[in-house]
Amino acid sequence: MMALLVLSITACNAQLKNQNTETVKIYGNCGMCKSTIEKAGNIKKQSVVDWNKETKIATILYDSLKTSKDEILKRIALAGYDSDSFLAPDDTYSNLPNCCQYERAKEVSSTMVMSTNNHSQHSNEMTEMQDENPLSAVFDNYFALKNSLVKTDGTTASTSAKNLSTALNEVKMANLSNEVHMVWMKILDNLKTDTQKISDTKETSQQRQYFNSLSKKMYDVIKISKQETPTYYQFCPMANDGKGANWLSKEETIKNPYYGSKMLSCGKTVETINK
Amino acid sequence: MKNNRFIIIILLLFIASKVSAQNIVKYELTVTDTIVNYSGKEKRAIAVNGQIPMPTLTFTEGDIAEIIVHNKLKESTSLHWHGLFLPNKEDGVPYLTQMPIEPNETFTYSFPIIQNGTHWYHSHSGLQEQIGMYGSLVLLKKKDDPTFRKGIDDLPAVPIILSEWTDIKPENVHRMLANANDWAGIKKGTTQSYSDAIKAGHFKTKLENEWKRMLAMDVSDVYYDKFLINGKNESQLSQFKAGDKVRLRVSNGGASSYFWLNYAGGKMTVVANDGNDVEPIEVDRLIIGVSETYDVVVTIPNEDIAYEFLATPEDRTGSASIYLGNGKIQLKSRMPKLNYFEGMKMMNDMMNMDGTMDDMGMDMSYQQMDMNTVMYPEISGNPKMKMDDEMDMDDKMDHSNHSMNANQDIVTLNYGMLKAPQPTTLQKDAPVRELRFELTGNMNRYVWSMDNKVLSEVDKILIKKGENVRITLYNNSMMRHPMHLHGHDFRVLNGQGEYAPMMNVIDIMPMETDTIEFEANMDGDWFFHCHILYHMMAGMNRVFSYENSKPNPYLPNKEWAYKKLQSESNKFHFMAENDFATNGNDGMVMLQNTRWSFGTEWRLGYHDEHGYETETHIGRYIGKNQWFIPFVGFDWRYREQNGEVEKNIFGQTNTKDQRAVLSLGAEYTLPMLVKLQGEIFTDGNVRFQLMREDIPISSRLRWAFMVNTDKEYMTGFKYIVTRHLGISSHYDSDMGIGFGATLNY
Repeated sequence: MMALLVLSITACNAQLKNQNTETVKIYGNCGMCKSTIEKAGNIKKQSVVDWNKETKIATILYDSLKTSKDEILKRIALAGYDSDSFLAPDDTYSNLPNCCQYERAKEVSSTMVMSTNNHSQHSNEMTEMQDENPLSAVFDNYFALKNSLVKTDGTTASTSAKNLSTALNEVKMANLSNEVHMVWMKILDNLKTDTQKISDTKETSQQRQYFNSLSKKMYDVIKISKQETPTYYQFCPMANDGKGANWLSKEETIKNPYYGSKMLSCGKTVETINK
Repeated sequence: MKNNRFIIIILLLFIASKVSAQNIVKYELTVTDTIVNYSGKEKRAIAVNGQIPMPTLTFTEGDIAEIIVHNKLKESTSLHWHGLFLPNKEDGVPYLTQMPIEPNETFTYSFPIIQNGTHWYHSHSGLQEQIGMYGSLVLLKKKDDPTFRKGIDDLPAVPIILSEWTDIKPENVHRMLANANDWAGIKKGTTQSYSDAIKAGHFKTKLENEWKRMLAMDVSDVYYDKFLINGKNESQLSQFKAGDKVRLRVSNGGASSYFWLNYAGGKMTVVANDGNDVEPIEVDRLIIGVSETYDVVVTIPNEDIAYEFLATPEDRTGSASIYLGNGKIQLKSRMPKLNYFEGMKMMNDMMNMDGTMDDMGMDMSYQQMDMNTVMYPEISGNPKMKMDDEMDMDDKMDHSNHSMNANQDIVTLNYGMLKAPQPTTLQKDAPVRELRFELTGNMNRYVWSMDNKVLSEVDKILIKKGENVRITLYNNSMMRHPMHLHGHDFRVLNGQGEYAPMMNVIDIMPMETDTIEFEANMDGDWFFHCHILYHMMAGMNRVFSYENSKPNPYLPNKEWAYKKLQSESNKFHFMAENDFATNGNDGMVMLQNTRWSFGTEWRLGYHDEHGYETETHIGRYIGKNQWFIPFVGFDWRYREQNGEVEKNIFGQTNTKDQRAVLSLGAEYTLPMLVKLQGEIFTDGNVRFQLMREDIPISSRLRWAFMVNTDKEYMTGFKYIVTRHLGISSHYDSDMGIGFGATLNY
């Protein structure tokens, strides 16, 4: 399969006339970034972009009579990704999925506030559409899991994860709004896997590894869902071997689920998700 | 005392000598044909002094302008000084204020500069403005002007002129609009076909729209290949550094595009409109109507970053950028595509069955309630997504991102926010002349008018020097219109009382009522018209004429000239089509102007049994919506039928062997845009027919049908390949099934 893919890419490359090749740095994070960057950059018979998420270096092949490096980088920037020639629009960047929000060279805190406002409007719209949030059981069990990790209680965490697992399976997708549904479809598999892994062990160190990715996915859905009370998206830069990790909480006060009592108050609220 | 008076006299003399020693500023402009390449194709355009846009002309208030125009074209030309107060004979409207400048002629415009501000100039001949004849005109304040604003008038200023480019000759653009050719819609992806409607969950909306006899709705009519700022799609001004404030003197020199203005470096401060100062106001964005000017001040926030100033046409099919500053380019996000079906739904609600508009008691005015907002995803969110989008994950993410953009906090400028810095009240105790105009139009035939009359159907409107003229404008058409008055600024009664802003162009959105007033203090004939070039050429014009004006030395025969001016905007449009099919030729030619239509249709078989048939109609469109057209006709047909006699459903017999008859008839457009035709022939026969030819099934697929009381029927499909070519198949009761290629002009 991989070989086929590589073959097809090379076949595609071979079709470009007046081919020019350049390598440039494009800021980004993950696999999802890769697909967005490449989708924005590629144009049939004009340009092919291959971005490496480890090195952040993109190889750009293009027909020099039809287009230019700047044109391609401009399209990629308009999709949300900075390069050394173009900076992405602030609103486009802040609308990237959370896992894609790479560290920018300049300050973006102001735009974070903006995006919070936007979310609140969404949920307002949704208030009219739904009477009761079909995801509330999911959220409740997530917070229970988080609280067990704050207490570094592997056994309770495992039980909470089991409950979360059940809640995940019982979500009536038909009751989800279109927007939530779309995000839900995308992340459901990951949520299930992470939850399963957490419930499989009573070792908090392992549970915490999966809790990081579970939290990011949960954030994607909670930020566009109806909430009675605000939810706080919090971040600890030291967790996850210094790479940093996020979690969601109903309390504004930091109670770090990655370190428990060791460093209970390490972290900060990066976003307040209103109802 | 005596001494004092002496000093005053000396002082007065000194001032007078200063005034008389006015600075004459001279420009020489040479107009030539040129070839440009904006889109990858080489096309004809018009350059002045070898450049597009025309050179920026700069004067200071108090100067005398002397502009010498050398016409090196093979056609006549003219230059109009948009927004300037000047003697009528210098205004530059051919057949109204001067004779056209003929090929190889030189003409000198000369007038004192008695105002300041950002203006522009353009050709007022035919459609020349579309292909390059537009340029900035900057009138600076004198340093000692009491209205000089520190921090605004002393900032570095950049003239910005916006425009668009189409590869299609503007004469053809105009012709295609008049023929309701939907090629522009196909190029823009705005056909709004039934399949698009079903996909968007708006089948009922489309149905109701056609029931109300409307064609696809759009915010603009022409497809443009490129949008330009100062003649370029992208450019950079790298001389600006962090902290710099720059005044952009923006003129919209586009022929038919409104532009949204956005800036990547934060808010913009609007400081002037149509060359007149306004109280500074901070906005996130503004729309600049065709031929309007706005002065905006922007700041460069950071070092080593260039900030994008983005101009997006109202239909959002492209954009043009200029980057301010040096270094990495900070982009502004593109404006998301319009939700056309939301707009269509809104239109349906506002449109009465008789084709008039109903504002549902909302009293709209001065751009304060923009109904188009329903189409703006960035304000009203994305339309509901369909479940079939779910397969494509990436696509899904895009959608959810867009809807997250939804933001009602964007500050958009409207006329209600504009306030003059000084009182602008008119002379008191002057007689007031009240006028009212209804802006009217007919999208299907591209007739644009005022009070349902085009210029060729009305006389000049007489006004008296010394009176105050107050005009109420009501837009009862489906498009917005930038109405421009030559030679005067008018007060826009937008609720700012004494401080009503002064403008010379007012954009009026559908269903809005706006009131403007001006002091009649000039002499001569002044054009008042919609500045969308193709609306102007369709006749949406009036002339205000001062009673007892001085004769105009450049226009000896004013009466003859006015007739000429009238005919300029009521020209005949030619259209032809032929389907070369396996079962015969099907086609027509048509010549139409605002009211009259001359047309011939034919169906020519390849052998006698299939027959040959032509129908000629000469008709006149009646009424505002032009749904009704009585006509006289002539039919000729020949068909070998071996004595067979056909009967129609009324039992009347009819041999098609050889028939040549005159007829009297009428055609009426029914709801769903179906044309009902009734005709009585000199041989006593009667025929009724129902027909529709352009039902949009998909973006490029059209369905046609016809059925009549002679028991003839036809149904067919056409797939539009290019502007001039379609592939078609149809079944005809006379000629059977056929496939072919349709050529149209």
